[in-house]
Amino acid sequence: MKPDAGRVLNGVAISLMTKVAPEVRTPFGQQLAGLSAVLLRVVATEFDRMADRLSVENGAVAAILADAAAIVPDTALAERAREAAAANTSPDLRVSTLQGINDRLRAILVDVHAAIEETPGEGARAMEERIWEELRESTRRRHVEARI
Amino acid sequence: MEDRIAAYLAGKLAGAEEVRVSHLYRIPGGASRETWMFKATWREGGERRANEFILRKDPPASLLESNRETEYAYYRAFANSKVPVPAMRWIEHDASHLDGSFFIMDRIGEIESNTRRLQEPAWDAARPNIARHMYEILAAIHAFDWRTPALLEVSEAPEPGECWKRELDTWEAVVDANELSPQPIVRAGIRWLRRNPPPPPPRVTVVHGDYRVGNILYHRDGTIRAVVDWEMAHLGDPIEDLAWGFMKDWEWARDGRKGGIIAERDAIATYEAASGTAVDRDALRWWSVFSNVKAQGIWLTGTKSFQEGRTDELILPMVSYTLINAEDEALLESLGRAG
Repeated sequence: MKPDAGRVLNGVAISLMTKVAPEVRTPFGQQLAGLSAVLLRVVATEFDRMADRLSVENGAVAAILADAAAIVPDTALAERAREAAAANTSPDLRVSTLQGINDRLRAILVDVHAAIEETPGEGARAMEERIWEELRESTRRRHVEARI
Repeated sequence: MEDRIAAYLAGKLAGAEEVRVSHLYRIPGGASRETWMFKATWREGGERRANEFILRKDPPASLLESNRETEYAYYRAFANSKVPVPAMRWIEHDASHLDGSFFIMDRIGEIESNTRRLQEPAWDAARPNIARHMYEILAAIHAFDWRTPALLEVSEAPEPGECWKRELDTWEAVVDANELSPQPIVRAGIRWLRRNPPPPPPRVTVVHGDYRVGNILYHRDGTIRAVVDWEMAHLGDPIEDLAWGFMKDWEWARDGRKGGIIAERDAIATYEAASGTAVDRDALRWWSVFSNVKAQGIWLTGTKSFQEGRTDELILPMVSYTLINAEDEALLESLGRAG
């Protein structure tokens, strides 16, 4: 659908900044108009990339869990990690569906990370570094330029 | 709202008649409490009187579910001390007056609080003095004798060796209660904090809990006229305040200067000279990591409040979309895992 959602949100943001904010009487109201504009721009960025970000991240975390299952000593946790990795299939591409999968995968990643930290051996250390790299990458995927 | 405030003041100002409220504005910021300023005029003993006030009102939900009684007690405790604070007038728990609990304090005139304005060239001369004063005041906060009934009524004094654990337990519980999605970086930070406890402080002190540029009211002459936002004040390890003020979150000039006004080494030197206490660098590192976890607890609380529809304050989704990830990045750096 054109204009696409990003263009619409950016258009509303520009109107807020250039047409609404100057008409607002109080500093609080002006700040609110400016904040709304920046927020719309951030949401426009997220709208475009969110499904891709979640899909890519779900694949990356699932791969880590599948490999970590062979290293964590706790057999129950290993089984949970294997099952979660195998369940990384989405019936649709709705953001809410992908987010639900992401939440399940990252919850198990927390437990696996904690277990790996306590596990001796080179394999565990290599896996620990791989998890840290994924966590760094997760912040790059979510990075936005706007600051308040 | 003007009439409702005037009606409230009429019951509080002894002998006051014809109380009127005007120039009521909400002050930008104040994400945990609504902050309003207003002018009140009244007749007393045949004379016209006037004063400007600040009203801090509880919102339906916010970044931080804090205790207004505690904040008020700390403001009162520091009145007429070396730590400048606004004069408190009234605290009101009856929500029927203004649709929420609130307290009212005197407004301090001719001051600035804007964090970015302090970076402007017009403030070049005043900025170094403000920075020095800021860390001298922090030393005064930490030297304050907190063994008073008023403060002990709202704050429990931990043993020195327990300061870190009590704060970490508190903020881990905040994360537990408010995360809407798993937080792997915060959880890794919490595990690191528990594995590497800091050395105990030489003594337990008042901790402001949110001591940073943004919560000081400064004047063009280079002095600080008030320290505000005491809602997270407690008794604990003084290094907590230093670490909080050193966070990347508050590097407004984006050049590494803390609060956008002072290099970390200079802030520490000023604080050490004023307090007569050496800053333990291991403790500072621990409290730096802790500060990122605590900040994330605050951002997650605001996110949940907005997501669940308990508030429509737009600052909260802005925090969610920007600060939560920025805090994760900062926490990775504090942990030495930024790559």
